[in-house]
Amino acid sequence: MQTATTAAKPGPSGAGAGSIVRRAGQSIFWLILTIYGILTLYPFFWLVISAFKTNEDFYSRPFGLPEIWRWDNFSHAWASSRLGSAFVNSIIVSLGSLVLTLFIAALASFILARFQFKWKGWMFAFFVVGMLIPIHSTLVPLFILMKQMSLLNTYWALILPYTAFALPTAIFVLTAYLTSIPRDIEEASFIDGTGLWGLFFRIMLPMSLPALATVTILSFLHAWNDFSFALVFINKTELKTLPLAIANFADGYQTDYGLTLAAMTLSVIPTVLLYLLFQEQMMKGMTAGAVKG
Amino acid sequence: MNLLQNRRFIMTGLAPAVILYALFVFVPVIWSAYYGFFDWSGIGEASYIGLQNYAEIWRDPIFWRALKNNIIFVLASVFGQIPIALVLAVLLHKSSLLHRFLRSAVFLPMVLSTVVIGMIWQYIYHPQIGILNFLLNTLGLDSWRLQWLSDPVIAIYSLVPPLIWSFVGLYLIIFVSALQNIPSEIHDAAKIDGVSGLRKLVSITLPMIKNTVQVAIILCISGSLKSFDLVFIMTKGGPAHATELLATYMYNSTFTTYRYGFGSAISTTIVIISLLLIGTSQWLASRKKDAV
Repeated sequence: MQTATTAAKPGPSGAGAGSIVRRAGQSIFWLILTIYGILTLYPFFWLVISAFKTNEDFYSRPFGLPEIWRWDNFSHAWASSRLGSAFVNSIIVSLGSLVLTLFIAALASFILARFQFKWKGWMFAFFVVGMLIPIHSTLVPLFILMKQMSLLNTYWALILPYTAFALPTAIFVLTAYLTSIPRDIEEASFIDGTGLWGLFFRIMLPMSLPALATVTILSFLHAWNDFSFALVFINKTELKTLPLAIANFADGYQTDYGLTLAAMTLSVIPTVLLYLLFQEQMMKGMTAGAVKG
Repeated sequence: MNLLQNRRFIMTGLAPAVILYALFVFVPVIWSAYYGFFDWSGIGEASYIGLQNYAEIWRDPIFWRALKNNIIFVLASVFGQIPIALVLAVLLHKSSLLHRFLRSAVFLPMVLSTVVIGMIWQYIYHPQIGILNFLLNTLGLDSWRLQWLSDPVIAIYSLVPPLIWSFVGLYLIIFVSALQNIPSEIHDAAKIDGVSGLRKLVSITLPMIKNTVQVAIILCISGSLKSFDLVFIMTKGGPAHATELLATYMYNSTFTTYRYGFGSAISTTIVIISLLLIGTSQWLASRKKDAV
């Protein structure tokens, strides 16, 4: 196919006036791209360079590089913002809900994909319809529920709802993947005498690694970046997650811009680093999670 | 294979997912439908007041402003994000290094917390120290300097660029993978017929990804109903409720005045409105497909 494409002769429009028009069109495209590229990246660039500035520098030369690179903005921000404990909280909550989501969703999807039973279709619909429920509409009733279960201000107040809201997409993605695995796998493993749990843990889980990676990306990022649940369910300073801690820090140190921006920069380093390492997978995973078929 | 053992495995395997999901996703929706009929401050007795909460919502001008703002967000997303993402996808669908780099850059806001995005844009818009007003100053456009987030008339529109900026990447990647899935025979056929450039785009490429665009529009509509975080960080629904969305309206009326019954009624209203919106957009999409 590739050779056919390259061998084909350029069309009749390739000469004379056509090529001028095309060249003009191309330069307009490049102009649009460059402008959009700058617009997209500039806010990040600005965030990082401003994080090194003193307040005077911040006022007087908002576009320039810092006059003196103030590295100690970062250590001050770290010391005065409780970012350390916020990092720990975010890691606990995100990993906790991730592990729970992976296990529960994979098990349910295994059953929905590989077994025949009467209310299977209804069960699948029951999970998938959850993707339509706007998360924010559940803030008030969830708050009441958590209060009655005395879960407010615990890690569970975040881990459980993050898991519950990750389930619809996770089950959708995993069930679709597991359904595509050929039937022979089960037959072979039953002949070998593997039980159902063995089939799940030793064969199905390893086989669905690509789908599990998608679910990992979606569920981890959702938990790591969530603001609204943490805002409503967590009041204790020691339990605040990263987004909440950053928002509070900005309120408290409003006029110390360099310090606030340094705290913001520190908070995005983990996700940006992960993104730089796994960008193709992350883009694919997040779009797969969004499109859901 | 033992049938009984099979059944027991099905039950045990589904139980954790069903219990967790029902308890934290379904029960809250049903509860809020129930509590919406009560006057309740969160502690003590709840008293049944019928449809009074809903009547109050209906009469509340802030609710209508919030609904209008939500609709502005939906329209801005559909008519802002989708066209920009389409143009970028057409320009950036190759797998060269430059194209990949630019796609990654456009997608980057998707992996960041809305808190950080909202705060960056707050600084951009800041009336005294913001780089937007500073830029306008430098360009000699002093009269264009505005109180971007504190002027009630323009504040809601100031929230649109950050909204578009943070989600364009998602639709870009969706469109790029649709473009890359167009079979190469089609490109070859176009070449043989001498169709290229804009004409090929309009009459071949775009029709080929029409279904993807429809899916993206539906995603866009349901996604823009979820913009609580951005607004909460940037304006908290202010100034004077000018940027209130349904979700911030619910948050503010529940947690600042402790009216859980009223807040539950609003949350039920949000569920109904979003289901209606998504239902309508799906119906429109399927009707269009039948007509073609």
